[in-house]
Amino acid sequence: MNTTRASTALIADDEPLLREHLARHLARLWPELQIVAQARNGREAVELFDEHEPQIVFLDVHMPGLNGIEAARAIGRRAQIVFVTAYEQYALQAFEHGALDYLVKPFDDARLADTVQRLRKRTAPPHDMAADALSPVLDRLADELRLRTPPRSFLQWIKASVGNSVRLIPVTQVVYLRSDEKYTLVAWDGGEALIRKTIRELADELDPEHFVQVHRSVIVNLHHVAQVVRSLNETADVHLRGRSEVLPVSRSYLHLFRQM
Amino acid sequence: MALPLTPARTGWPAFLGALRAPAVAIAITLAVAAALMINPIFSPPFTVVLGRTLFLAMVLLLTYAAARAWPVRWLPHWLAPVVAIAAAAPLATLAIYLMATGGDFGAILSMERLSGFVLITLCGLVFGVLVALGATAREREALARSQALQFELERSRFETEALDARLSLLQAQVEPHFLFNTLANVQALVENQSPHAADVLKSLIAYLRAAMPRLHDEQPTLGNELALVRAYLELMQMRMPDRLRFGIDVPAALNTRRFPPMALLTLVENAVRHGIDPAEDGGRIDVGAALRGNTLTLWVADDGVGMDPRAQPGTGLQNLRARLAAFFGSPATLQLDERSPRGLRAEIVIRT
Repeated sequence: MNTTRASTALIADDEPLLREHLARHLARLWPELQIVAQARNGREAVELFDEHEPQIVFLDVHMPGLNGIEAARAIGRRAQIVFVTAYEQYALQAFEHGALDYLVKPFDDARLADTVQRLRKRTAPPHDMAADALSPVLDRLADELRLRTPPRSFLQWIKASVGNSVRLIPVTQVVYLRSDEKYTLVAWDGGEALIRKTIRELADELDPEHFVQVHRSVIVNLHHVAQVVRSLNETADVHLRGRSEVLPVSRSYLHLFRQM
Repeated sequence: MALPLTPARTGWPAFLGALRAPAVAIAITLAVAAALMINPIFSPPFTVVLGRTLFLAMVLLLTYAAARAWPVRWLPHWLAPVVAIAAAAPLATLAIYLMATGGDFGAILSMERLSGFVLITLCGLVFGVLVALGATAREREALARSQALQFELERSRFETEALDARLSLLQAQVEPHFLFNTLANVQALVENQSPHAADVLKSLIAYLRAAMPRLHDEQPTLGNELALVRAYLELMQMRMPDRLRFGIDVPAALNTRRFPPMALLTLVENAVRHGIDPAEDGGRIDVGAALRGNTLTLWVADDGVGMDPRAQPGTGLQNLRARLAAFFGSPATLQLDERSPRGLRAEIVIRT
């Protein structure tokens, strides 16, 4: 460091023991470095960064609320960022690729000393190569994190009031949904309940690979269909596995069950 | 996406389906037999008698097929063909005689013709009704067989699922992310010469031992499972002391109960991972059990962020369902309820 001002840093990790551990080791390896703040999550990290504007930010990747990658995007090029992670193979590759600093938990003194060495040598962040490379790498990482969190496309749980509680029914257990004027009956392996969603809404939200609308007021889970029996007037009946109810298929939906 | 249509059991397809070669062959055989039987007491030549019985047999076959294909609501399944045949036999015979006499109704009433009429009608009635009942019984048998087959298939599917769940349990490994993060904490404690280090290591060892794949767990009990759950929660609490609180409240008398390994842990891990960990200010997890009569209820309740209805249900819960079913049989259920103001309660109910 060739500036007169002492170097400052912020540590963000949701696990307090690990924050203190890193602070302790940094104090030993880099006594002049001032830890100006410690954050418990990504949101706090960004807030405390704005408040203290440290030159260096240690960010745990996995944090509640805003994660480390998202916090890094918010901080951008205003600081040198070192990611800290326990085991995120995909992230490590991206860090290597983007020439970003990172530490793998649990780390040893030698590894931390390397990082300190690099940080000391660097000049102000805006002229930094790593900072220029930051954005695209972080974008990709953020995408990957999103991919790792569940895809948000189709409804996976149906919420239904059962007695005093709101039951969460996995859609795989739902056998069929049938509506009357006001409510929709959901029948699943473990019972039946009324919900307020309409068949039209449900048809849009459920995965069409498994759920098909066979009638204006009926959606059936194909995995629970035992057989479809054609009857008069271009209609058919759906017989269910292990259940006695028979569901109607109206003319306009019969094409779904064309003989193979 | 098309499901194969099973052969329809009503309507025209059913009607034509009932007229297959074997059915026609039986009808012809019976018609010949009836003709041979009544021929000695008849004056018309054998071919004429045979023609009449054949005609009657075909009419009755069509009647039977029609009665099966277009069932009526107010008659039991098996009775409809019998009633139809009982009605058709005299009418068809009457038609035969009207044709033979050129429409002269009076001629049928002659003594000789009348006895022939009665004989043929009786033959038709007896044979027709017997055959109809036999065919109905056979159909019912076939249906029962196909149902038994379907049950068998269900059962084997169920067994496969349980096996899959067991296999995936064996393959289940300690998540590296969890392990290394925990080790980093242990490292911090040890370096700091914290008095907690020994306890934490003990919890980690207990957790790892339980989480290692094992083939034979000679007598898994609820007590073992709760020790594992406690070890896990203690580790997590060490890691996030400001964000995780927990309580375990299970009557000691239940500790000796048989219980599938990792079942409760799966729910507790879910509560931490999906409920508490994503919440900035964390929350509380309560594990409990109660025995009321023959019903054992176990629950894991958290006040974390709750469930997004679009969140992909992990294989964990599905495996857990299969494992519970394999361990306890069907009277074990797993259900998830939303808590208010927030959080989730997972409940295992076992009827013993």
